[in-house]
Amino acid sequence: MSTNYKSSSFRNLYIIVFIIVIISELIGIRKFAVGPGSVVLLPMLYAVIIGLVITPGILGKRIAALKSMITDEVMEIAGMLVMLSLLPLGVKYGTLVGPNIVKVVQAGPAFLLQELGNLGTVFIGLPLAMALGLKREAIGATVSICREPTLGVIGERYGINSPEGTGVLGTYMMGTVLGTIFFGLLGSFAVNTGIHPYALAMASGMGSGSMMTAASSSLAETVPAMRDTILAYAATSNMLTGVTGLYSVVFLALPLSNWLYKKWEPFFARREAAEGSGKDAK
Amino acid sequence: MQNKTIDQVKLMLVIGAMILVGQKIGRTVIGKELAPLGASVIGILTVLVICMVALKLKGAFPKVKFPAFAWATMIALILSMPFMPTAKLFLQYTGNVDFLATTTPILAFAGISVGTKLTQLKKISWKLVIIAIVVFIGTFFGSALVAQLVLKIQGII
Repeated sequence: MSTNYKSSSFRNLYIIVFIIVIISELIGIRKFAVGPGSVVLLPMLYAVIIGLVITPGILGKRIAALKSMITDEVMEIAGMLVMLSLLPLGVKYGTLVGPNIVKVVQAGPAFLLQELGNLGTVFIGLPLAMALGLKREAIGATVSICREPTLGVIGERYGINSPEGTGVLGTYMMGTVLGTIFFGLLGSFAVNTGIHPYALAMASGMGSGSMMTAASSSLAETVPAMRDTILAYAATSNMLTGVTGLYSVVFLALPLSNWLYKKWEPFFARREAAEGSGKDAK
Repeated sequence: MQNKTIDQVKLMLVIGAMILVGQKIGRTVIGKELAPLGASVIGILTVLVICMVALKLKGAFPKVKFPAFAWATMIALILSMPFMPTAKLFLQYTGNVDFLATTTPILAFAGISVGTKLTQLKKISWKLVIIAIVVFIGTFFGSALVAQLVLKIQGII
């Protein structure tokens, strides 16, 4: 696979990522008291922010050395290496689930049923999107957390250039950029809601390896006494979503979204007409 | 095919080196005891071998839509189950690789790779930003509330 890319691109990427890792680990784990609870910042959070900031679109514009080092090719290779670098983490998750396998099996019903909780986004997200004036884009944007399988389903059914496709791409991109940062903070802050850390751990598995990692490891650092079970639950839930997620979108979330859309559409259309601003006239 | 495998091994070794360097610094910063270098190297090599097997399994069963990440978790899970004869040794070796240390390089790569999408992202309206955040919250707390309820009924929490 490396034959298509220049070896200098690989070398540059290695140097940059080594430096990012060293800086991020030097900053180390930081805990802050926020209101009644605390937020834990992990090295991975600094790493994603530094990585993003040094790309040509942001700081690279100002600093010539960065721009010449981080070419389009380097960013492409980085995308490919995300998949490979996830594997050691996958192994570590396995070693957390394995010893706890009895506990995990005992919690089986909770694992299966909480998958349905992912539909929560349709009930909250869809009306909000429609209230903001989105049309069919709303369906794509809120049908699920929009990781790769959803992208595939919507792309196949409506085409990625359709309004539904635009919606799904929007949420997908936001997830890629903001997802880990958002869930890294939410994971530790959510403890303050009073929901049990085990339940939050299950919720962390949404079908994205990096979001699950961000949410569950900051949760685990916040409640260190429950660390192993939290990580085991999160990894199991994420694996399960990997299997069920696609079917849940095809057979549940998408039909439900379409049905609710039809039901609510007249209401939002009337409201828009009443406002009569004509903003949507093309 | 063979070249591809060699490339994958090289890439995994570089990633392994990043994990070890990160782990050493990370442990020093929080004042945690350092694992002996030899033990850490054996640990990371054990992890990397499983990663390679996961990649090969994914390649061997393209029709089963199971990502390499899930294969890696599955293999490690099976090897570390309490009643498996492999469990003790396997957990001892992999225990010298810190969980958090494996996450830092991933997110560094992820951050850089998003650079290609920045221009596309600027075209997305602010409405989609708000909606995405509500989608995150809805998905997360939707699952959490159901899990809370079922775990309570089961008497686990």
